[in-house]
Amino acid sequence: MGCPMPPADQIDFSKLPIYLPDVECTSRERIRAIQLAKLIDQVAYAYARVPWYRERMDELGVAPADIRTLDDVRRLPFTDKVALRDTFPFGMFAVPMSEIVEMHASSGTTGKPIVVGYTAADMEVWSECIARLAQMAGVTADDRVQMAFGYGMFTGGFGLHYGIQRIGGMMIPAGAGNTERHIQMIEDYGTTTLIATPSYALHICEVGEAMGYDWASSTLERGLFGGEPCPPGLKAEIEGRMHITCTDNYGLTEVMGPGVSGECLAHRDQQHIAEDHFLWEVVDPETGEPVGEGEMGELVLTPLDKRGIPVLRYRTHDLTRVHTEPCPCGRTLARMQKVRARCDDMLIIRGTNVFPSQVEDVIARIDSLTPHYRIVVDNETGLDRMTVEVEIKPEAFSDSFEEMSRFSREVADKLRNVLLVTPVVRLVEPGGLERTAGKAKHVEDRRTLG
Amino acid sequence: MAITQISVFVESRPGHLVRTLSVFSEAGINVRGFSAGDTGEYGIVRFIVDKPDQALALLAERGAAARASEVLCVRLADEPGALRHVMEACSEAGINIVYCYSLASTFIALSVKDIASAERALAGADIELVDQAELARSLAGVAL
Repeated sequence: MGCPMPPADQIDFSKLPIYLPDVECTSRERIRAIQLAKLIDQVAYAYARVPWYRERMDELGVAPADIRTLDDVRRLPFTDKVALRDTFPFGMFAVPMSEIVEMHASSGTTGKPIVVGYTAADMEVWSECIARLAQMAGVTADDRVQMAFGYGMFTGGFGLHYGIQRIGGMMIPAGAGNTERHIQMIEDYGTTTLIATPSYALHICEVGEAMGYDWASSTLERGLFGGEPCPPGLKAEIEGRMHITCTDNYGLTEVMGPGVSGECLAHRDQQHIAEDHFLWEVVDPETGEPVGEGEMGELVLTPLDKRGIPVLRYRTHDLTRVHTEPCPCGRTLARMQKVRARCDDMLIIRGTNVFPSQVEDVIARIDSLTPHYRIVVDNETGLDRMTVEVEIKPEAFSDSFEEMSRFSREVADKLRNVLLVTPVVRLVEPGGLERTAGKAKHVEDRRTLG
Repeated sequence: MAITQISVFVESRPGHLVRTLSVFSEAGINVRGFSAGDTGEYGIVRFIVDKPDQALALLAERGAAARASEVLCVRLADEPGALRHVMEACSEAGINIVYCYSLASTFIALSVKDIASAERALAGADIELVDQAELARSLAGVAL
């Protein structure tokens, strides 16, 4: 029977599995030594095999032999999405196609997709990274794990699938969609673990409730989330209503897919980076220079043993800070704060920077609202106008225009206090905002230049 | 002697009111009076129906924002001055009518903060108040 995990200080971490204690719990010195040895090899590999890197490094006057310390990574060129898109589909591949055993592609919502290819060795690394994060959440060979991501080109489906199998868990490859069937399968097969985007998990929860399914007595124990950021309010709501423990992981197609870092149960707002496979930097998004230790900046990742497509210093555009003290869960691998904002999803409203995650946080703290929201920005009247659509919970409805408009004014005030921009708040019926199986679309920018 | 009113939060968009009305019609619930107010974005639609408990339960089941509240129901004489007589009785007693709307036939629903004192004021002015059962009897066969 499912039940949410107790607070971190009441968890006996010695009872939770650690997939690779030799690496995950080793000293910081040893991790850095592993990283340096791999970085030297990886840079030489990229230079020798990928013309794009050879040209950039030659332009910068840096040779593989110049990489002698981890700090020397700063001498290397950055890679961004554009590089991968310009070389579509296979221009960045470092091995003959016969050595590629699987390919994936990003969703391609903004132009051509990013195509990535994996060698057999890459698949080993990937499934190992997933095995680590699944065990952080307590998954073992006894678990029955139901997939609610789509399989297909998206890295989430197969990536998680292989990692769960690696620890001997049983995969139930249901795939995305058909929510009633998901609930039926949980019931019929005794599913213990659900893999889903957080917004789809909430949808499954709501549909189950509407069907009269009793989540409290379900076999479901946990959710492994990914595919989109999971705001704390949404996670808490799902944990409470489905009686499960939920963790989420971080990753991106360009450097591997899911599994770059994963949440342990000691720090629920952070994720352990698989540092023996990924060298991380945190830089000022404007200058590209490193920020101070523990400061917020843009995450830059260099996969350290990627054979299919080596990627040096990938600009994730994700904002985070990294902590390196040991963790109560027993792991010593660095923890990145969960990504709540991207440098490029920042909205500029009448000159003020606004992040959707700020709106998310304010909404999560208002009891009378569901965690769903949508931001619409337009400039029909000449000035930027930000409208935040929020869903009232049925029990929060009052039969009085006065009270309802007072309530929407309160929501607007709370948003203004955080955003420093006064939004228009639009109350929407319960269930009125779209739920999606994929990435939830929270922002619609309708501004025109004219 | 109040009657039950069902209020529903409805977005001001085509089709949204129809969803609520479909819930009623599919369950054979008869609407005997209603009032739809709107802010431009959303509205509060208030209904007097023949089976208020069932109506509320059905709306709650489909996750709608709906609630029941009590309003007074007055039967008006079908003659000039009848409505004025009701309003005057309330105003002389210092009672503010938050909103009011008419039902099928010559009934009006009045929302006030203090139902008991409004009842006394109206009864003192010889105005006939109607309860749920009486309303049902009187409106039997009256279509809206």
